[in-house]
Amino acid sequence: MGEAIVVTSGKGGVGKTTTSANIGTALALQGKNVCLMDTDIGLRNLDVVMGLENRIIYDLVDAAEGRCRVKQALIKDKRFDCLHLLPAAQTKDKSAVNPAQMKAIVDELKPDYDYIIIDCPAGIEQGYKNAVSGADQAIVVTTPDTSAVRDADRIVGLLEQEDIDPPKLVVNRVRSQLASQGDMLDVDDVVSTLAIDLLGMIVDDEEVIKAAHRGEPIVMNPNSRASLGYRNIARRILGESVPLMAVEEKKSFFAKVKSMLGLKA
Amino acid sequence: MWKVSTTVEKVMIMAQLAEVKAMNTGPAKNLVTIKGTKEGLTVFLNDQCSYDALTEELKEKVARDHQAFGNGPEVEVKVDVGYRFLTKEQEHQIISLLEEADPIKVKEIQTEVISREEARKEREETGITSYSQIIRSGQDIRVKGDLYLLGDVNPGGTIQATGSIFVLGTLKGTARAGIDGDLRAVVGASVMDPHQLSIAGTYFHAPERHEKKEKGPLYKEPVFAYISEREKEIAFEKTRLLYQMKRDIEKD
Repeated sequence: MGEAIVVTSGKGGVGKTTTSANIGTALALQGKNVCLMDTDIGLRNLDVVMGLENRIIYDLVDAAEGRCRVKQALIKDKRFDCLHLLPAAQTKDKSAVNPAQMKAIVDELKPDYDYIIIDCPAGIEQGYKNAVSGADQAIVVTTPDTSAVRDADRIVGLLEQEDIDPPKLVVNRVRSQLASQGDMLDVDDVVSTLAIDLLGMIVDDEEVIKAAHRGEPIVMNPNSRASLGYRNIARRILGESVPLMAVEEKKSFFAKVKSMLGLKA
Repeated sequence: MWKVSTTVEKVMIMAQLAEVKAMNTGPAKNLVTIKGTKEGLTVFLNDQCSYDALTEELKEKVARDHQAFGNGPEVEVKVDVGYRFLTKEQEHQIISLLEEADPIKVKEIQTEVISREEARKEREETGITSYSQIIRSGQDIRVKGDLYLLGDVNPGGTIQATGSIFVLGTLKGTARAGIDGDLRAVVGASVMDPHQLSIAGTYFHAPERHEKKEKGPLYKEPVFAYISEREKEIAFEKTRLLYQMKRDIEKD
């Protein structure tokens, strides 16, 4: 029986879809059966980030309304046999499905997969309620911005009212230099405000943008710093104790690289 | 299982015994006694007999003593009903029965018991409600009486109380004390860094973010906010000086 993990943030543009795609791919890299589920009906992106947009025939709404079987709507990933995507509909909107239908689909998928990663739309309305309805666990993604942290806090408050495990935190797009200068929140500030467990942090990395452009998750590139962050998160989800101290080490490493570049320049 | 049933049986037997005892020792008559105390006349009503028996005797007594009271000056009496719970209708009935004797005026009804509802209300208004959670963005907690929070109030979260507020954590959101107009309410916090704070409609707004020179909270040590008498605005003082203010208030 698989676990359904919803990836949510409240605010848009903090990297929910990127995080969903990469955590899912990283888990598949570890040989797990993973299903990615895009619940952002009307504004679907996960298929694009995964580079699977040209293979969509049926979608989530078709499956919810019984126009096809859930299995028929699944798309197999081009890189991994154990990774599938259930795309959202692009033509409808969030009200096209309700939480009960969503839960039914997740429950149907659970026996066949180790992990179901549910990509949640921005906001706290219908789309959010749909995405959370079938989840057992939640990952809250935020960037170290005051506004993103505020919205993440709101989401954590809402998730605490749901019947799921306490959410875990991913701090995305960390720029250690700005944080150390005091021009941005640092990871510690974010964690102390939200007061939930830190699952991992992802440094700001141009490679992520390039990878998304190619339609290939960044975890496929083993040399990227962001990739390492996502791989560590996947290992922590699998129960390995990858020390969170690595966050600090990575930061100093990052600083070293920066200073080296600075020397070179 | 056996143990449980024996205790239950025991309790039942004890209850039965208590009933028998009450029946045996209960006064046969004289359910209504009138006594003069320092504050005037008090009518004591027996709280063990049935309500019907009580009203019966009350009717008799009043009819009998009507002449005794005559048309003299008005007499204010207190009614003590002991441990009997009276509904509003019953209270009215007792009052009207007593006041049948013209000069009698019921000043108040004293009782040793109150309903659960009344008790809850009283406890709410005078007591401290304690929460141990983080008040997150978008959450709003409102209590009657004082509020005691073990946790933080995050930016965008709100806590409100008709009395005072004490936060054993960091206050980063909004706190409103004395929301029904209690000017003596205070807001205390271990780390005081509110966005907005108000006491009985007097507001304090956090300094603009760009005006804040150094990173960190407004007050790092425990302080409390109160309405300063002189300036009629919110002022902050170290928590260890709170007792002085309370003392000054009590002097007034």
